[in-house]
Amino acid sequence: MSSVPKRSELRAAVEDVLYASAVHLDSQKFESWLQLTAPEFRYRITSYSHDLRKDMTWLDHDRAGLTALLAILPKHHVNGAQWLRQTVLYTLDDDGPDAVRAVSSLAVFQTVLDVGDAHVDGGSSRLFAAGHYQDRLRLEGGRFLLSDRNVRLDTRQLGIGSHLIP
Amino acid sequence: MTETLAGWRRRLGGEHLPYVDSRIYTDATIFEEELAKIWRRTWLLVSHESELPEPLDFRTTTIAREPVVIVRGEDGKVRAFLNVCPHRGALLLRQPAGNLRNANPSGSPKRITCMFHAWQFDAAGQCTSITRRSAGYQERLDCSQVSLKELPCEVAYGGFVWVHLEASAPPLRASMGNAFDALLPHLETEPLEVFHHHKAIVTTNYKFWHDTNSEFYHDYMHHFNRVTSMKQPGYFDRRYAPFSNGHVTISSMQVKYTAYEQDDVVLADSRDLSFPGLETNGWKLLDLFPGITLNLRGSALRIDTMTPLAPDKVLIEFRGLGLKKDTPDARARRVRDHNTIWGPFGRNLPEDLLGVVNQGLGVRPGSESLHILHGRFEDNSIHDEIGLRCYYREWSRRMNRLASAPDEAPPDAITAEPQSSSLGNGVH
Repeated sequence: MSSVPKRSELRAAVEDVLYASAVHLDSQKFESWLQLTAPEFRYRITSYSHDLRKDMTWLDHDRAGLTALLAILPKHHVNGAQWLRQTVLYTLDDDGPDAVRAVSSLAVFQTVLDVGDAHVDGGSSRLFAAGHYQDRLRLEGGRFLLSDRNVRLDTRQLGIGSHLIP
Repeated sequence: MTETLAGWRRRLGGEHLPYVDSRIYTDATIFEEELAKIWRRTWLLVSHESELPEPLDFRTTTIAREPVVIVRGEDGKVRAFLNVCPHRGALLLRQPAGNLRNANPSGSPKRITCMFHAWQFDAAGQCTSITRRSAGYQERLDCSQVSLKELPCEVAYGGFVWVHLEASAPPLRASMGNAFDALLPHLETEPLEVFHHHKAIVTTNYKFWHDTNSEFYHDYMHHFNRVTSMKQPGYFDRRYAPFSNGHVTISSMQVKYTAYEQDDVVLADSRDLSFPGLETNGWKLLDLFPGITLNLRGSALRIDTMTPLAPDKVLIEFRGLGLKKDTPDARARRVRDHNTIWGPFGRNLPEDLLGVVNQGLGVRPGSESLHILHGRFEDNSIHDEIGLRCYYREWSRRMNRLASAPDEAPPDAITAEPQSSSLGNGVH
């Protein structure tokens, strides 16, 4: 880990990726967001069902699949709400050579545009989902890349759902 | 510009162009009547046996505002009870699911204990303890008088748990008739297991959701369905078959999932995994009155159930099922196949739900009534709206109101068992 910075610098480096990820996803700059991910990147959305008393996997894609999924969005009727991802890094642990695991809180807000009555509800903001990012990042070329992200949602009622990803 | 708003909203429809009056989706009085005349008097699918695999497992739910709990007894039998303490009316079990093995803070193991005054009941609904009974009630009350209210409950048609609120419920199989004939070979060859459950509270009338599940004309909304189904051979060969009691089913086709792709990346795997007896990538669907849909598509079975909350609000529950014997790899594939389309982050479900949200906005409580067309006739093929006409004929019969003119009682003919040939006219 000679190339890994000191603990405070390590934390700051991971936070840079975490917050850049939120900024790119909020602005729907998916290509910029994908540049934060490693070639082996895997993205999942999971939740625990208290109704079934089982884990559920709601979305599971590798990088190529996720890239295609995001590229095809214009062919779908996507909720036009503005998303705001609020995330705070909670824990950071070493995960082998040049790799770390990071757990962050996640709250996703939506500001209504076209789902619901745009005249009445448009411009209002509401909590869409709460949960955590469970990330794995690894160093490559002196910067951290996301190699695995599990969006672990506490929220199990998501209204009409979403084509976009938290 | 001389046409009035009311005139425009009632311009379409007639004897040869079937419609319903939008007040059936918005009127508070009609909604309350629906709860009393339909939802309280119908067998409803509330769970699956795989959600209660062990003795003393339970699931809670609500039917027409009545709290209900389903419990698997120590004898293995699944029973349903009103989830209400007979003492002072408190809700008994508060969690969505669990097991009675462990005592709650005021009760004993293996008991349903009211947290309020610690009255206890066993998994068969019998009272086992009234705290300080003789001191307070002397000989005027004992456990034999205060069992839980048991409800008619059956496990059938692939292991689904069905509950009826009325003790005088007709036999479940009489209510279903032959509606399950096409699906049953796929549901009862192997035990099934639920792997997915999520809920959505949607601002719309519950019937709009069932309407959407009862017609495929709205496939124009879905890029996914356009490329994987509508553009594929056999799509327009699918035929609806209406049954008595408002149920309807549609025949199968082979879906080409690999047609959903972007930049040469296939986003929906070919469903080489299937259900027993179902052709590879086959797709069958059954809509049950008043709001249950079984959608068997490729490797996954989706079940929609509804709990109407208000004229313009409904809770929809979505379940996904595979085979109990699935290997971990097979289960992972079924989960992926299911959620690619139908999960909360799937390609189709948000669009379907947005469609009925928009209907709820276009037709609101208090707005001028609108004629909602159910008038497509295409020899019962996939864009025919016979599913809607079948449903509203039964609705009119149960409600004793014409769906097209809800202030009027239906003609005598509509109280008879519906026949396919009679569903083409404008009277429903």
